[in-house]
Amino acid sequence: MRDVKKENQIISLVLYFGGLILLLEWIYPLAQVTDTGHTSAFFLYIILCFILSASYLPWWIVSPLKFLGMLFVLHQIFFNEPFLSREWFAQLFADIQVNLSAVFSQDWFQLSSSFRTFLFLILLWMMSYLLYYWFAVRKKPFSFTLFTFIYLTVLDTFTTFDATNAILRAFVIGVALLGIAHLQHMVEKEKLRTPPMKTLVKWVAPLLVVIGFSTVIGYAAPKYDPIWPDPVPFLQSAAENGIGGEGPGGSVQKIGYGENDQRLGGGFVMDDTTVFYAQAPKSQYWKVETKDTYTGKGWVRSDEGEFTNSSGDVHGLQEYRDIVELNEDQAHIQFEEPGLLNKLVYMYGTEQILSNQDNMTVNYNTATGEVFSIVDDENRLPDEYQLEVLRPFYPINEMRKITGGQNQDHLADYLQLPDTLPDRVVNLAEEVVADEDNRYDKAKAIEDYFTREGFRYETQDVPVPDDDEDYVDQFLFESQVGYCDNFSTSMVVMLRAIDIPARWVKGFTGGERVVGEDMFEGSQPEYEIQNNNAHSWVEVYFPNVGWVPFEPTVGFSNPSNFVSGEDINDILEREQDYQTPEPTEQPDLQEEDSDDSEDEEENQAGAFFSLSNPTKYLLIGVAVVLLGLIFWLVMKKRYAILGKWKKKQMAHNRDVATFTDGYQFILKLLANQGLALEEGQTLNEYAQKVDRWYGHSDMSALTRYYERTVYRDEPLDRNHHEIYRLWNRVVENLLG
Amino acid sequence: MTQQMTAQQSKVEQLLDNMEKVMVGNREAIELSLLALLAEGHVLLEDVPGVGKTMLVRALAKSFDLEFKRIQFTPDLLPSDVTGVSIYNQKEMNFEFRPGPILGNIVLADEINRTSPKTQSALLESMEERNITVDGTTMELKRPFFVMATQNPIEYEGTYPLPEAQLDRFLLKLSLGYPTKDEEIQMLDRTSSVHPIDRLDAVMQKEDLIQLQEEVKDVYVSDAIKKYIVYIVNGTRTHPLLELGASPRASISMMKAAKAYAFIQKRDYVLPDDIKHLTSHVLGHRVIISSEAKFEGKTPASILNDIVKKTIVPIERG
Repeated sequence: MRDVKKENQIISLVLYFGGLILLLEWIYPLAQVTDTGHTSAFFLYIILCFILSASYLPWWIVSPLKFLGMLFVLHQIFFNEPFLSREWFAQLFADIQVNLSAVFSQDWFQLSSSFRTFLFLILLWMMSYLLYYWFAVRKKPFSFTLFTFIYLTVLDTFTTFDATNAILRAFVIGVALLGIAHLQHMVEKEKLRTPPMKTLVKWVAPLLVVIGFSTVIGYAAPKYDPIWPDPVPFLQSAAENGIGGEGPGGSVQKIGYGENDQRLGGGFVMDDTTVFYAQAPKSQYWKVETKDTYTGKGWVRSDEGEFTNSSGDVHGLQEYRDIVELNEDQAHIQFEEPGLLNKLVYMYGTEQILSNQDNMTVNYNTATGEVFSIVDDENRLPDEYQLEVLRPFYPINEMRKITGGQNQDHLADYLQLPDTLPDRVVNLAEEVVADEDNRYDKAKAIEDYFTREGFRYETQDVPVPDDDEDYVDQFLFESQVGYCDNFSTSMVVMLRAIDIPARWVKGFTGGERVVGEDMFEGSQPEYEIQNNNAHSWVEVYFPNVGWVPFEPTVGFSNPSNFVSGEDINDILEREQDYQTPEPTEQPDLQEEDSDDSEDEEENQAGAFFSLSNPTKYLLIGVAVVLLGLIFWLVMKKRYAILGKWKKKQMAHNRDVATFTDGYQFILKLLANQGLALEEGQTLNEYAQKVDRWYGHSDMSALTRYYERTVYRDEPLDRNHHEIYRLWNRVVENLLG
Repeated sequence: MTQQMTAQQSKVEQLLDNMEKVMVGNREAIELSLLALLAEGHVLLEDVPGVGKTMLVRALAKSFDLEFKRIQFTPDLLPSDVTGVSIYNQKEMNFEFRPGPILGNIVLADEINRTSPKTQSALLESMEERNITVDGTTMELKRPFFVMATQNPIEYEGTYPLPEAQLDRFLLKLSLGYPTKDEEIQMLDRTSSVHPIDRLDAVMQKEDLIQLQEEVKDVYVSDAIKKYIVYIVNGTRTHPLLELGASPRASISMMKAAKAYAFIQKRDYVLPDDIKHLTSHVLGHRVIISSEAKFEGKTPASILNDIVKKTIVPIERG
C-alpha cells in the first residue's frame, strides 16, 4: 500500500514537472514579444514555487517561503537597499502605497513596474498552485497543454516570435504528459493495483518512442507553404498603409487612402471599409492634402510648408478673394475606423474645426492643405468633429478674365515639371487648348479632353510605368486606361505644361448617402465614406479667385459650385430642393439618386492603394470564435440545464410519465458518456454494467423501481421519495 | 399476496437446495425442471447417457413426495405398455384395469426416440390432453402430472426422431452436460457410501405443489413483456437461417415458462431478463435451422441468441 502511494506520488511529480516546463514555455517568449525583462528571475521564481509545491511541506511553511521568494525577486530587480533592511521596507511600503492609491483611483497607467512585476509574480504563484492541482492532484493535463499550444501558435502567427522550437518542445512534453496521465487514469478507473515501476517503464517507453518517432516525422516531413500570407508582415503593412506610406512597386493593391504617391500605377481591388460618416449640405469633396512636385513616376512634396497651430480656426487653409461668394454651412464628421487616416478631412471653405474634446487643437498647413489634430499633445484623431464652412461659389465669368501674363513667380512650385517629361505631353497640352484664350476655358478643355477622347476608367488592368517611362506620358499616349490618379496627374502636368499653376489633391469623394440611420442630429443629409471613395483631383490657381477644384476623371463629376452671373440664392434653393424632395417628385429623384450611386460605385475606384482591412477579418474571427464558444458551452451545459429542469419535475410529479422521462434522461446522459443502452440489452443488464463502471449500485436500485413501474404496472406513490433520491444521486454523479 | 408468496418462495428455495444435494453443480437444470413442473409443462432432456437425467427426475419426485414412474422406450414397446391394459380377473369375473406407468405423477420417458411413432404419440397425446382412453373408458391423469422425456443426441440405428408437432408439446428442452472435474469429484465423494437420493427427504407435499402451480398463474405479465415475447417469436419466423419459426403455441409456452421462472426468482412479475434467459430453452426445440445454417456450424441456440440480441427490449409502459 505504501509503495502504491509512493508510486502515485512519483507519477504526480512527473506530471507536475511537465506542467512546470509547459509554464516556462509561456514565460520564455515574453522577453521577445513584450518589454518584459529579467525573464530568468521569473523562471527561477516559478521553479522555486514548483519545488515548494511538490515538497509536500505544510502550507504554513510553503506560503511564507514563496512570499519571501517573491520579495527577493523584486529586490533583485528593483531595489538598491540591502535586502530586508529598514530602508528596504520603507521603499517597499512607499511603493505599495503609491500603487494602491493608483489602483483605487483606477489610474492604471500610474502603476509602477515594480508593482506590475509584483502582480505578475503573484500570478505565477497562483499558476504554480493551479498547475499543481491540475497535474499532480487531478492528473488532467489536457486543457493546459491545449492552451499552451494555442498560446504558442498565436504568438508565432501574430508576433515576431518564432515558436518553431517551442511548439516542438511543447508537443513532446504535452503528449508525454497526456500519455502518462491517461495511464494513471486507467489504473485508477479500473481500480488496478498500480503496476510496479518496471511495468510502468514498459508502459512509458513505447509511448516515448511513438512521440519521438512522430516528432521526427513531423519535423522532417515536407510541408505545404501557407495558403495565407504570414499575418505579421501583412498586418504590419496594412497598418502602415493606414497611417504611413506604401512601399513602391506593388502591382495590385487594395484601394484606400495612402500617403506614399511616389510611384503611381497598377491595378487594385475594392475595399468597402467605412472610413468615416459625414453630415454635409451636399455630396462634395472631402479634402485631405495636396502635393506639388511631379517626379515622372508619382508625386512628392518639395515644399513641406509650415504648420500653424490653432484652437480650431483654419481660415488660412483656403483664402478666397472677395469676389468669391461664400455660403455659411456646417458639416459633421465621425470616424468609423480610426487608424485608417491620420489627418482630418475637411470641405472646401472650412473656417473652423471644432471638436467636443476640449483639449483638441489643430495644426494646419496652408501649403500642403494638411490638418492634424492634436489631442493631449499627441497627434490623434478625434472620434467626431464639426466643420464651420464658408462654402465657395466659384464665379466662372471672373475666372474667364484670366488670360495669362501675370507674375507667377510665387507659384513656381506649382509650375514644376520634371526634365524627363517627354515633349509630346507639352505639345498635346498646347494642342488641346489651342482654341481657348482664357485660363478657365483652357482648364475646362483639358478637363474634358479625357472624356472627349474616349479614355477609359479601369481599376484592374492598369500598368505600372517602366523605369524609363513617364507616368503621364504612358497614360496619355499608350494605355489610355486608368483611374483617378492617372487622370488628375495628367491634367496637372498638362496645365503646368501651358504655364497654368495647378496642384494634385487627395481626399475622398462625397460618399454614399445613408438614409434612415440618423447618426447625426439635424436634417442635413448623411454620407458614408468608404475606402473605395478615396480619390484624387486637381486644383487650378486663379489669381483673383484662389485654388479651384477640377475633376478630370472619366465618370466623375465635379461637386463644386460654379456660378456664372446667376444669383447664389437660386443655386442654394436648387440644392435645398434636391435634398428635401417633394413627394411627387420622388420617382424622378430616385432615379437620379440611383444614377448617382451607380456613378459612385463606378467611382469607387479612386486610386489610392493601401490599406487592407484586417480588423474586419479579426472581428469576424472573434465573432466566429465567440459563437463557437457559446455553442460549445450550451452543448456542454445542456445536460446540466436539462438536469435541473428534470429534477424539478421529478420532485413534484409522481406520475409514470415523469419517471419514464427522468429515467430516459439518465439513459441519454449515459449514452453521452459512451454508455449507451445497447440493442437487445435489458434495463437490468444495463444498470449492472453502469454500476460496475461507476462503482456504485444506485443505477440498479433505481432500475428496479423503474422495472416495477414498467413491467409490474405499479403506481409510484409509495416509493416516490426513494425513487427521487436515487434518481438525483445518479444524475448528480453523471453530471459530475 | 406478496407475504404469502415470500413464504412459498422460500419453500422453493429450500427445494432447490434439497435437489442440489443430489445434482451437484447443476442448479440451472434443476431450476428449469422445477420451472416446467410449476408451469405444468413437460421437459425434453437431450443428453448423453449417464449424466444424471434419471437422478434429476427422481430427486424432483422425492422432494415433492410424488409418485415416480419410469418407462424405458424400446422399439417393441406398445401404446398399452404406456397407458396400461384391462386384464380379465378370473376371481372377480371382470376386467380389471392395470394402470400403465403414465398414471404416475412424475414420469420419466427414457429414450423416447427409440420407440415407434405410434407409442410416442400415445405418450405425447396424453401429455397434452391430460387424460387417457383405454378400452373406451377415459381416465383423468393424476395431478400434478409431469413428464420428463429423454432422447439421445447421437443418432442410433433404428431411432424414430420426434416430429416437430410433437416436440412443440414440451415446454422446455434441457441438457445437463458433463459436470466439471471438481463437481465430478464431489459427486464421487457423495456417492461413496450411500447415494444421496436415498436420504433425500420430501420438502413439500403434493398439495403444496398444486398450490404453487396456482400461484404461478398469478404472476403478472405486462403488455411490454407480451410485446417482447411476440417480437422474439416473430423474429424466429423471419430469420433467414431458420427454416421453421416458432408457433403461437411457443409464445404461450414462453409466457408460462417466464411466469414460473419469475416466481422462482421470487418476483411476482416477469422481466425481459426472464424472457431472454429462457428463449433458447423454450424455443430451441421448436425451430428448425436451415441446412446452410448447419453447414455454417450454427445451432438453434446460437441463432436464437442472435435474434434476442437484435430484438429491442421495450422499456416503456404499454
